[in-house]
Amino acid sequence: MPKPYKSTDLMSDEQIMEAVKNGNLQQASLLFDRFNKRIFNFLARMTNDREVAEDLTQNVFLRLLKYRHSYNPQMKFQAWIYQMARNAFADHYQKQKQLKPAVMEVEKLHEQPDLAEALEQEETEGRLIRALAQLPDDYRELLVLTRFQHLKYEEVAGFLDMTVANVKVKVHRAIGLLRKNYFELENA
Amino acid sequence: MDAQNWESRLIEYIDGKANETERAAIEHEVAHNEAVRMVYHQLTEVLQAMNETRALEPTGKLKASFEQTLQQEISNQTRSTKTVFFSPVVYRVAAGFILLMIGLTVGYKINQSATKERELQALREQVEENRRLMLAMMDNQLSASQRMMGVSVAYQMEKPDDEIVTVLVKAMNEDANSNVRLAALDALGKFSHEPRVRKELVGSLSTQKDPVVQIALIQLLVKMKEKDVVNQLEELTRDGGTLKAVKDEAHAGILKLS
Repeated sequence: MPKPYKSTDLMSDEQIMEAVKNGNLQQASLLFDRFNKRIFNFLARMTNDREVAEDLTQNVFLRLLKYRHSYNPQMKFQAWIYQMARNAFADHYQKQKQLKPAVMEVEKLHEQPDLAEALEQEETEGRLIRALAQLPDDYRELLVLTRFQHLKYEEVAGFLDMTVANVKVKVHRAIGLLRKNYFELENA
Repeated sequence: MDAQNWESRLIEYIDGKANETERAAIEHEVAHNEAVRMVYHQLTEVLQAMNETRALEPTGKLKASFEQTLQQEISNQTRSTKTVFFSPVVYRVAAGFILLMIGLTVGYKINQSATKERELQALREQVEENRRLMLAMMDNQLSASQRMMGVSVAYQMEKPDDEIVTVLVKAMNEDANSNVRLAALDALGKFSHEPRVRKELVGSLSTQKDPVVQIALIQLLVKMKEKDVVNQLEELTRDGGTLKAVKDEAHAGILKLS
């Protein structure tokens, strides 16, 4: 007989989320522990602002609790939470746009992002982050997901509603653009 | 093809996804075409830089803030928000008085048993959670180890309900993994005093095809002193398709039960 166990570590993300949906809210802590760093890193790379990224991460887990009844257990939990993170970022981006409609894009190009400042001793990393910040949002998002967060093309295609082949083509284009930005910054 | 057009192929190569022919073509081009070589080196550097980027750590504030929100949500969930309105004031006062009297009378008794009830409730919730977990694990067709754990949870239960017995019987008779079948049999053995479990175990003897499970099942039925299976055991000894070790166990079983 196998040894008795008592650990929720063995439960899949989907099983835990189903328990949360069924009213066992305390289990949401486990999902927070499993995903908060990933979601925070995704949002930090997308916003280039640690403080905003923390607020948005908090917002994502709030949405998880608020919309728990709408979770479909057939859906991968990871896809669901990344979708909420994307929505949180899109809402934030819209608000920013309304606040400063004309200067937003220019500022994004020339502003030294907070992350890059924090990492200025690490020249390579700082330059990479600056080059990344110059990419269009959809390219940046694809690189953050596939190259920084190491999600598979299949997983990303699932929640971006794209084909795997399309994800691959766009990732390659994004890398090409990033390479140009990165070496232009070196020579700047 | 210029250096830019090589980019996608070079990325596949650096990612280790190019096949042998493609690898040879790329290595040849990198060795002989300076422009392609430059793109290759630049891509290698950028891809490596992305790989080596450190993950950022959120501050402790994030966790604390989430826990606070969660506790708030939990208390919102448990708090009853139902409100009853009575329009004339006199009804409200009367209703209040009646409620107060009921409250005082019942309150004392409830107070006495409240702690006990809370403990019981926590236990009930734990049992229900184990049950849900067990059924979900047993249903995981992709992972035999998950199904094993599901059986393990069932084994720890005091008294299984019909649904759990059905799932265990199905696992014993049909699971693709021999270890899961054996573990399910073991769990059912623990509950063999239940009439339904006893009946299922006897029924399984004539349908079971896995020799390892057959032997364990015969041993269990003998231990249960289930004399009704003697005929089935005799049939097993006569069946040409039965393995010798199973026949031996069946013979031993007949001797012990007769």
